[in-house]
Amino acid sequence: MKGIMKSLAVTMSTFIRGPVTRNYPTEHRELPERDRAFPILLWDQDIDEPFCTGCHACERACPVECMTVLMKDNPAHESQGGTSKRRKIVDEFWIDYGRCMRCNICVEVCNFEAIAMNNTWQGHEMSVYDRSDLVMDLPQLMSQSKAEEIQEWVAD
Amino acid sequence: MVTETAPEFETQDLLINVGPQHPSTHGVFRMVLEVDGEVVKELVPHIGYLHRGAEKLCENNDFRQGVGYMDRTEYLAAHNAELSYVMAVEALAELEVPARAQWIRMILCELNRLSSHFMFFGAFGVDVGVFGTPFVYAWRERETLIDLFEEISGDRMMYAYFRAGGLAWEVPANFKERVHEVLKSSRQGVKDFDGLLTENEIFIARTKNVGIISAEDAIEIGMSGSSLRASGVNLDIRKTEPYLFYDQVEFDVPLGENGDVFDRYYVRLQEMEQSMRIIEQCLERLEDGPIMPEKMPRMLRLPEGQEVYIRTEAPRGEYGVYLVSKGGNKPWRLKVRSACLSNLQALRQMSVGQYVADAIIILGSIDIVLSEVDR
Amino acid sequence: MSDGIFGVENAWLDAAIRIQLIVGLMTVVVMGLIYLERKILARFQQRLGPTRTGPAGLLQSVADALKLVGKEDLRPRNADPWTFELAPYLVFVPVFLGFVVVPFVAGWEVRVVELGLIYFVSVSSLSIIGWIMAGWGSDNRYAMIGGMRAAAQAISYELPLVLALISVAMVADSYNLEEIVQGQAATPNIVWQPLVVVVFLIAGLAELNRTPFDIPVGESEVVGGPFVEYSGIRWSFFFLAEYAALFIMSLIFAAVFLGGWAWPLGEEWGRGWQLVLVSVKAGTFMFFVFWVRASVPRLRIDQLMSFSWKILLPLMLVQVLINGAVLVYGGSLWILTIAGLVGVGVLAKLVGDAVSQPRPKVVAASAEGEVAS
Repeated sequence: MKGIMKSLAVTMSTFIRGPVTRNYPTEHRELPERDRAFPILLWDQDIDEPFCTGCHACERACPVECMTVLMKDNPAHESQGGTSKRRKIVDEFWIDYGRCMRCNICVEVCNFEAIAMNNTWQGHEMSVYDRSDLVMDLPQLMSQSKAEEIQEWVAD
Repeated sequence: MVTETAPEFETQDLLINVGPQHPSTHGVFRMVLEVDGEVVKELVPHIGYLHRGAEKLCENNDFRQGVGYMDRTEYLAAHNAELSYVMAVEALAELEVPARAQWIRMILCELNRLSSHFMFFGAFGVDVGVFGTPFVYAWRERETLIDLFEEISGDRMMYAYFRAGGLAWEVPANFKERVHEVLKSSRQGVKDFDGLLTENEIFIARTKNVGIISAEDAIEIGMSGSSLRASGVNLDIRKTEPYLFYDQVEFDVPLGENGDVFDRYYVRLQEMEQSMRIIEQCLERLEDGPIMPEKMPRMLRLPEGQEVYIRTEAPRGEYGVYLVSKGGNKPWRLKVRSACLSNLQALRQMSVGQYVADAIIILGSIDIVLSEVDR
Repeated sequence: MSDGIFGVENAWLDAAIRIQLIVGLMTVVVMGLIYLERKILARFQQRLGPTRTGPAGLLQSVADALKLVGKEDLRPRNADPWTFELAPYLVFVPVFLGFVVVPFVAGWEVRVVELGLIYFVSVSSLSIIGWIMAGWGSDNRYAMIGGMRAAAQAISYELPLVLALISVAMVADSYNLEEIVQGQAATPNIVWQPLVVVVFLIAGLAELNRTPFDIPVGESEVVGGPFVEYSGIRWSFFFLAEYAALFIMSLIFAAVFLGGWAWPLGEEWGRGWQLVLVSVKAGTFMFFVFWVRASVPRLRIDQLMSFSWKILLPLMLVQVLINGAVLVYGGSLWILTIAGLVGVGVLAKLVGDAVSQPRPKVVAASAEGEVAS
């Protein structure tokens, strides 16, 4: 009987301690800085163009081959009369979030710090009705950074 | 005087299919029980529902990309899975891992042991019949641990944090304080479980002398880990072949006496205490320094024709990685020696002759995670 | 006999009105009990329970009931039609029949029956037939196994329960529930019969098919019990019967052991206070049932049966003997209290010994880690 009394005492103590529930989706907890959702592209606010030059480094490094990158000559380069130092710029970029395994390797290999893992709630709340909606194209990937909505973390 | 023996009743044995969808979350596992009345006569397990070809996939991925796959072969103890893999690569590449990285690896592996054992208690409590309380306690504790992992590596379950040579990046500045906080809450969790189940008479009546496996049988089948130690065999890889810095910290290895379900439960409970002891010692000895060796090549290439087998003490047993290199940056063959698969072999021997209700508890007590059984 | 309710003279009409009131009250109470159980169980597990349907989740039971009513009514092709379809009623109706004698407050039972306790026990046993019918009529071997187990469990725990009630009836010197309650105006019966209270709690849990005795409705067991083939509103009958039985058992407990509406100061302070007393007492029983559900594992069927026959039944027989001896030979009732407390100690010791193991030692391994051969 004593053991059963002890079990009852333990449950009574948790009864008194109260619930530990976090009421999602009414309240969202604060995500740590290093939280790793899906990759997004970063926008250079000074020159008003993406950091990404389309160099294919992340595409080659991806274990699941979820990216497709196309590069083009940068029309805003200095030689064409613009202000940018980037000779090439990204033309098209697709990431299939359905295949991405969020391993962070694309961020590590990028030479231009142009890609980062989304550490906001928008990166996590990605429910769609059709799997093909998970393939993100360039405007979608750049939208959050363009709107200055994120504080990305890139490991040094 | 008429002597007449009562006619022998011809009874048919029932075939009960404990299907791939399990009431208690062990994963997709199927066993077919042949039952005579209440007693199990034969048990046939069916596995393979979670096979994803992880070993083959790793052959096409280099040694940084493969870490993500190793996470997924044992998602409840991912740090331990990654550890075996990176240790195998380091052994072949003859890399010298800096001390700070080793201490941090040790801390993370032991924390993962805690979270994995909490998961075991949760599922096991539900199997035994307590309505849901142990499960919720388990998740309460796992939540604190997983929050810590998220602050370090960014992900709650598939960390991809270890790299051949050390760690991917530095831990946050408040690492020590956070680990102390987490340890405090885990202590409370272990106390809760201990009070809830260990001395409960009904729990003891359900688990004592149920599913016994002797030490000789366990060794013959190839069991390892807590299930083996519960049968009284003193084999802990952290003591027999110390890796990381396990030979520099003090801890005990709990052993069981009978090899029944209760011993497997109690050994895991004690292992959690010992893990917390190890973590505290590691936190004291943690020193500053680099986390990757200085001369780290950009793309790791291994010499041709080398092979190595590295094993570590994962929460579920001996998790081994056998690596054969072919000279490039991808392995020729990667084989994972799965602890759960070997432990699962004992299921039939433990269950035959027991009641049906006990077969469920015995399965729960071996503590399998199907992703490791099937890879 | 009590006066007609609302001043109605005709006994039949009076009975009909009371029965309607009870039925209406019961449906609401059962839905409320389901909600309460979910909330209290959640609180034990440090979570919230239903929160979204209606304010604080109060309409959750209504939503569940609507869902169940809307489900398709399936019947297996080979199920015996009469047995299968009548089983829910045979489980549900006897529970409600038990309400005829339950004393809520002074003068508020349907009828005062001279042999109230005997009536209650015998009527509630009728549900066992319903369980067996459900198990057999489903044409499902697992349902039949579940039904047989449920019947075996119910019958084995019926005996200690009946003996417990008889012990109390001996002390109270009547089977009439109204008189039993009134006789406790000075001291509740729990003081005289502590062992009987403990045994009633255990046997009551078994009769209600509640943890730790819920093998027939076990959720993580291999099969789901005798109700596997029922869906929709038929299944909800079983569910409601379980909670109605819980309610009625708690009221009987409050009336017979804790003094019902009479202790303390029931008669002096009037109806409102009596209602509060009964609610609090019945509430403690229900809280205890939920508390045990959240804390304790499930017993195996053979352990359950041996516990009843080998431990509870002999203890209750001895208790009846002692009761008889003390009451006939005119000893002080405090002897009963002392004997009861000793009995509780004996029960605890028997339970502990049956599984006794001292806390296992942790065997620390040596540093070399030799392998046992």
